[in-house]
Amino acid sequence: MSVGVSLLKKTAVEADTFVQRLDGRVKFLYFLWATVIVYIFYDPYLNLIFVAVTLAMAFYARVAKPILQTLLIIVVPWIAFAVPILALPFGFPWNKTIIGYIDVFGNKYPVYLEGLGWGITWPLRIAVAISSALLFFLTTNQAKLVATLFKMKVPFKLIYMVVATFQFIPLLAKEAETILQAQVARGLRTDVGFVAKIKNYLSVVIPLTLSSLNKVQIRAITLESRGFSAPVKKTLLYEARLMKIDYIFLSLMFVSTAVLAWVYVNIGYSPIAGLSWIWGG
Amino acid sequence: MSSEIKEISPTGKAIIAVVLIPTIAALNYVGGVIVEALKAPIWGDTWATILGTLIGGFWVGAIGGFLYNIIMALTVWGLPSWIWGFANVAIALIAYFMMKMGWTDLKKPMTWIAMIVLYGILYPAFTTAISILVFGGGPLYKPLAAAVYTAVLSSTGNFVLANYVQNMFTEIIDKPISFIISVIIAQRIPKRFILAR
Amino acid sequence: MGQRGNEKVIIVENLTYAYPTSKDFVLKKVNFEVHRGEVLAILGPNGSGKSTLCKSLNGLVPHFYGGRYGGKVIIDGQEVLNTSVSQLATKVGLVFQDPEDQISGLALTVWEEVAFGLMMLGKPKEEIRQRVEEAIRYVGLEGLEKRSPFELSGGQMQRLAIATVLALRPDVIVMDEPTAQLDPIGKFEVLSVIEKLANEGSTIVIAEHEIEEVAYFADKALVLFNGEVIAYGPVREVLRKVDELKSIGIDPPSVTELAHAIKKELGLEAEYPITLEEAVKIYSELLGVS
Repeated sequence: MSVGVSLLKKTAVEADTFVQRLDGRVKFLYFLWATVIVYIFYDPYLNLIFVAVTLAMAFYARVAKPILQTLLIIVVPWIAFAVPILALPFGFPWNKTIIGYIDVFGNKYPVYLEGLGWGITWPLRIAVAISSALLFFLTTNQAKLVATLFKMKVPFKLIYMVVATFQFIPLLAKEAETILQAQVARGLRTDVGFVAKIKNYLSVVIPLTLSSLNKVQIRAITLESRGFSAPVKKTLLYEARLMKIDYIFLSLMFVSTAVLAWVYVNIGYSPIAGLSWIWGG
Repeated sequence: MSSEIKEISPTGKAIIAVVLIPTIAALNYVGGVIVEALKAPIWGDTWATILGTLIGGFWVGAIGGFLYNIIMALTVWGLPSWIWGFANVAIALIAYFMMKMGWTDLKKPMTWIAMIVLYGILYPAFTTAISILVFGGGPLYKPLAAAVYTAVLSSTGNFVLANYVQNMFTEIIDKPISFIISVIIAQRIPKRFILAR
Repeated sequence: MGQRGNEKVIIVENLTYAYPTSKDFVLKKVNFEVHRGEVLAILGPNGSGKSTLCKSLNGLVPHFYGGRYGGKVIIDGQEVLNTSVSQLATKVGLVFQDPEDQISGLALTVWEEVAFGLMMLGKPKEEIRQRVEEAIRYVGLEGLEKRSPFELSGGQMQRLAIATVLALRPDVIVMDEPTAQLDPIGKFEVLSVIEKLANEGSTIVIAEHEIEEVAYFADKALVLFNGEVIAYGPVREVLRKVDELKSIGIDPPSVTELAHAIKKELGLEAEYPITLEEAVKIYSELLGVS
């Protein structure tokens, strides 16, 4: 029960490095920028460079561990699982360049470049997105996060919904646990058949839903009673502002974009690995 | 001393929706956790989207479901998976459609047909598009599904078809069950909580 | 908070109301007044309309719920029917009985939660800072400012709700069974704060089951049954009507019941006490013990 909820506790790490001091909008832009670039290019080495740069910043900001953990859980198994299937004869329709052979149970199977390239590049693209986004998320504490969203003119009600979801999840999880224990005390067992498992699910989920709906009502009238709907500009306790460090970072991104644009035009979309373009690649 | 009775229209629905939506997102999340704890053979993490649609209308289900995906993307699955939020929107849309057409009565055969066709055949087409265009497609990280992928690919050589059949295989059981669960719960809810027209 | 005076903060005239989903009227021609500095206790069995009455003082009834509405509720000169709930937020502070469900969900710390109402109304930061610190100190939550509001005990959460309301400096504080869901410690904590408010001259309307406690600081009492006012007047007079109260399902304070029983069984005439202190005083005088 607690695996899901404990992962939720991945909150911002408070340290005083330049990464934490960067404005939330700049870090978010970095995430978008890095992701777009690795989608425009089709090169696993380029992806690795981005991941390395992001991880370097993460190490400096002391948030490297959760990022590495996430990459280890999501990207590594993905590559490990996808590459063997895609690189083999029947795994990928565009396989044509053989780069080697692999011995399985005494039979020799060809390993194809196209499948291999696909199986590595795509997960690495995701790795870039994951690491840069987590960098943003882990180095921007919640108050700054809310202020950033507010400054980006995100509607206040939407900000409320995002923050509230984070707060409701542990509450509901606790309640679900209580209900589950009550049902177990009444004889619920998990070593049962398919239909019984569904019934078990319902016996927890139905009371949980009813209780949650009741809470919705009460919370709604509380919000209203405290002026939630007042048609005024809400006061937030933290203001997002761009500083010198933000401008430096932004210029670095700008210069890199110019360099990469030059590379794209003059060398190609797969500058280091030299992979050939597959539709949708 | 005014003795006339006036009819006043309520303003509360907007705020209720604002609180209901994060609740739906949270219920989706906790649903997935419960499934894990009970070892139930379903995803169990999109049922609240359907429920939200049945109680609060399309927007409540869609935004609540989308929000769930954003939260999951931020904390567990890794950021790019926020894209799957659109799949949740599709789920809400289908649920809304079925609600409007009256296909929520489990005793009607049409409900079952619609469920299987819309969630088991139409919906996987949508998820296949997303999975190929954004994530590169390929075999899912589940042995049975991956086997389906390889089998279809080796017999037809069609990448898109292999992905589609693989997705259909996983969704055709999970989504209808989630729909049934949501309908059962929605029926148990006292009338005064229902916002959906 | 204001001195006791003749100014009428709340005027309720012939209030009649039915929720949109129900056929029956849940409040029928309710009449009463609350002066500044007064504490009014609303008594009645479950389903008598106490909650609805509380909600009609800050505009939730009728604006939030809709429905059929008749009569007038006037708060500090403004008619509720013509004033939005947000506008009434600085005039009427409503505290509900669910400690956890009252927490906004937006605030990450206790401090932010107390500031919630002020943030929603767009008040300037300096004003917020000052008022929040004041309110936190008043209810006794110093030291807990940085905690998540959900980590508090029931009594603390309820005091947090009161602080959130106090920060808005309302003219009247309305409480709908604030101690109903609390354990004995929580009840004690919250009632202490309420008593403090009452003693310092706040205007309070409190619907409460714990008559024993409310009797200590209430000035007037209003008894509701089936949406109608069965009794209204100074608290002592209302609580004396032991038989009537019991017939509609309300238990008067034990000491009052005792005095009533003594009078009935032993024919001993004495003033009815409503608190333990009074009882001790009256009976020790009676028995010639000082």
